[in-house]
Amino acid sequence: MISAESLTKQFIVRGVPLVAVNHLSFQVASGEVYGLLGPNGAGKTTTLRMIMGLLEPDSGYVEIGGVRSTNKSTDIRKQLGLISTNDGVYPWLTVREMLMYFADLYAVDPSLAAERLEELANLLDLRNFIDQRCSTLSTGQKQRVTLARGLMHDPPVMLLDEPTRGLDVVGSQAIFRFIDLLKQRGKVVLLSTHRLDEAERVCDRFGLLHRGNLQFEGTLEELRQATGKQHLVDMFIAFLNAPQVNAPKTDHPVNIPPNELSPQA
Amino acid sequence: MNEYLSNGRLWRLCQKELRESLRDRRTLFTLVLMPILVYPLLSMALQRLVIGANSKAKEVTEYVIGVEDEETGDKIRDLLIEAQQTSERGFSSPIKVTRTDDPMEKDTANSPVKPSDEIPTYKIEMADRGTLDQALRDGRLDLLIAKLNIETTKLERGIFPAYIIQAEFRQNDLRSETALSGFRRATQLINDYQAALFRKQIDRKIPVAMTFNATGIFEKADLSSSIAGVIPLVLILMTITGAVYPAIDLTAGERERGTMEALIATPAPRFALLLSKYVAVVTVAVLTALANLFATWMTLSFGGLGQALFGKSGFSIMMLLQILPLLVIFACFFSAILLALCSFARSFKEAQAYLIPVMLLSLGPGLVTLMPNVQFTTLLGIVPLLNILMLSRDIMTGQSSLVPAFAAVFSTIIYACATLVVASRLFGAEAATSGSQESWSELLGRPKKRQMLPDIGELAIYLALLFPVFFVASNLGGMFELKGSWALFFNAAILFVLFMFLPLLYSWYRRIDLVITFRLSEGVGRGEPIGKRAARWIGYVAGVLLLSTALWMVAFEAYLLFEGWSLASQLSEEDKERLKSDFLAVPFWVVLLTGAVAPAIAEEFFFRGFVLSAFRSKLTAFRSVLFTSLLFGLFHVIAGSVLSIEKFLPTIILGMAIGFVAVRTGSLFPGILLHALHNGLVFSMSRFTEQDLARWFGEDTKHIPVVWLCGGVLSMALGAGVLFLSSQRNQTHEDSN
Repeated sequence: MISAESLTKQFIVRGVPLVAVNHLSFQVASGEVYGLLGPNGAGKTTTLRMIMGLLEPDSGYVEIGGVRSTNKSTDIRKQLGLISTNDGVYPWLTVREMLMYFADLYAVDPSLAAERLEELANLLDLRNFIDQRCSTLSTGQKQRVTLARGLMHDPPVMLLDEPTRGLDVVGSQAIFRFIDLLKQRGKVVLLSTHRLDEAERVCDRFGLLHRGNLQFEGTLEELRQATGKQHLVDMFIAFLNAPQVNAPKTDHPVNIPPNELSPQA
Repeated sequence: MNEYLSNGRLWRLCQKELRESLRDRRTLFTLVLMPILVYPLLSMALQRLVIGANSKAKEVTEYVIGVEDEETGDKIRDLLIEAQQTSERGFSSPIKVTRTDDPMEKDTANSPVKPSDEIPTYKIEMADRGTLDQALRDGRLDLLIAKLNIETTKLERGIFPAYIIQAEFRQNDLRSETALSGFRRATQLINDYQAALFRKQIDRKIPVAMTFNATGIFEKADLSSSIAGVIPLVLILMTITGAVYPAIDLTAGERERGTMEALIATPAPRFALLLSKYVAVVTVAVLTALANLFATWMTLSFGGLGQALFGKSGFSIMMLLQILPLLVIFACFFSAILLALCSFARSFKEAQAYLIPVMLLSLGPGLVTLMPNVQFTTLLGIVPLLNILMLSRDIMTGQSSLVPAFAAVFSTIIYACATLVVASRLFGAEAATSGSQESWSELLGRPKKRQMLPDIGELAIYLALLFPVFFVASNLGGMFELKGSWALFFNAAILFVLFMFLPLLYSWYRRIDLVITFRLSEGVGRGEPIGKRAARWIGYVAGVLLLSTALWMVAFEAYLLFEGWSLASQLSEEDKERLKSDFLAVPFWVVLLTGAVAPAIAEEFFFRGFVLSAFRSKLTAFRSVLFTSLLFGLFHVIAGSVLSIEKFLPTIILGMAIGFVAVRTGSLFPGILLHALHNGLVFSMSRFTEQDLARWFGEDTKHIPVVWLCGGVLSMALGAGVLFLSSQRNQTHEDSN
């Protein structure tokens, strides 16, 4: 359902070109959870932004259900739900008001939105605080509101950008349950994370991204065979230390600060 | 887009923004608490000021009376001495206030100046009527004796002279009114004393009988109307204050809360998002305006200040109803500005950093409205911010006129719409969401890599440095009292330093390619056989010659046009004559060298070199030429100590022509030639006397004859054609730049 084809994006940082994503190609099918893994600065968020049409790729393209994503494609955006690390809430709105606002932003019919709100309130256990202002909610409650926000327009594709960053064990568990739920509903799930242990738990397939290059793609089993390592963390370190599988297909120098990867960072 | 503008969806989006703003306690604080606190305090301060001015007016012992001739002066002096003596004799007039029937004088009766028995000391000044009128308006004169007639009446006791005096004073001005009141008292004393004498018949001497009339003139220089001018400024500043917080909160606040990405990831069009935010900001601004207006009205009505400032009727409901729509229009305009600025910011802190200079800048026009002699003209009617301030001031002082008012309202609405469109483009822009932020060191330091062209940031930095230096430098000649040729050479030297040498140095420092940026190569013909290149250059020279023979006419006619609109530099005839004779005293070769050759080289290096290339790094050729020409025009307007608005249009047209030549040929040199020829022709024209021009143009017109103009258009078209053809083929050169 998501098909990225040779996506490339370059930024100019301090006058020096920096290739954030380099000829990245991958596909994610319906009902599949695809983990886009990599250290900070690997190009995961840039990739998600290109999928959403918020960033124009320098070359390559993304197709959602066979339709190309560009910054003008509003229909594509209706197909996508985004939940990201930094997602906030509107402190002065109640949970209901905020969710209905996002339903309007996705042009969902108000009566349908009201039904969906009821359904999500049950599903994500929002009942007790649905008419409370968001500023009064706890971190966990805010997180559930954010998850509900991503589903108000019932998108077939969910993009999750580091959804567990900053959450405790209980919060992370809620996210895992949410991902399971999405999977059951047959959604396309693209999870970007540097928490390899979590990815191992929820993802069906992985793409290991390093300095904008896709180092490896496959299931956990395929990775084990390729590396001879048992755990994703060990495999990843092995990949990082090994010579690059795909040399950068660019003439520009790449200048990235020293590797910041640590498995639990 | 339609699905967002229908089904009440847009209204629901607005509702969300309104909820967010109005539920926020900080918004409510500026909305309600500020007016409650500020106005009573302001009122107290102003009242002190008025009382202070009042007591200051009382301290003054000598008032100035203006008369036109010596005879009138002598008569007035005698009259005052007579009154003084009467007063010293202990004669007290029973009547304190003499007249309130004259409609122009009603306000006097309500003014803080109350008549007393004392006759103040007066000084009599003599001048012609024009000078006296001006002096009265400026406050150098307190009372003007406009007319003094002596009529004689024959009574049984003899012939009695009766003085009929017509005076003028400044209405609502404490000092002038005190002077008037004292003078009236003097005439009254004499009248009463005479009546008493007649009654008692104790003295044979017969005093003069007085008829005294006074007309008040409006004068903006007085304190009360200055304070009336402060009120719109305060109202507008408070309206801005109300809009600032929601504007930041609804834009930069979205980023800070982490809701921006989710928001712009939705399919909702940016314009709809911004429009809903705009509605909320305008609503809060209008509510703030209402709260402030109400507080002002309350303070002025119940604090006693209203009558002191606006006469008997005080700050009327009518005035309130006129000011309110203005505040609403202003709120619409300023909210759009605030949203545009805040949309650019990534955080509250950044938004505040952008807004503070804007708030401070907006005080500038506020101060202009306090200047007494600035009239609200149609031209000022289109200056944003200043127009609304001046219109409110004029409404408050009861002097608004229709055309500037219309210009002010209409232009402000247009500015608001345009700004809103810009804001919607900036809101959630890709660069602001994820792009790298250039630090000062990156903008000012020496880059490691070479670059072909300067970018717009570098241009902005150079302009920011150039503008103040240029402003000071163009007035330096006058400071050193340089005259004639030396002044011209000095100015030419400044042009070379600021427009050629420093841009070259700055570009070298920034590792910008000098040959490409300043178009120092031969341009499109580079690398071709010598014959072809020569043919091209012959074409360039011919084209430029043809263009220049026509362009001076544009400059000439544009000057006449602006002169017709009274927008040309306001120089007195004497100054014009002096400048002309100074100019004619300079040898013509010096004029040509410093006024044609030097600016042509220096300004072309800067405008068609540095500036055009900087714009070209981001914009299309046409837009780059247009923006360069606008800057070129602006710099000619501010050159020298007076604003030469008449230069704006001709320099833009010249700039467009030279820009076109530079882009087409890819070389700076044909443009330098065109610029030099144009300036040379204009200066040559100015060497001719009006008689010479009349001989050519015809006696009854200042304009260029139609036949000449037709020839000019033809020659311009021909020149453009020749240039176009001779710069053809290798056209990709400019694009590769």
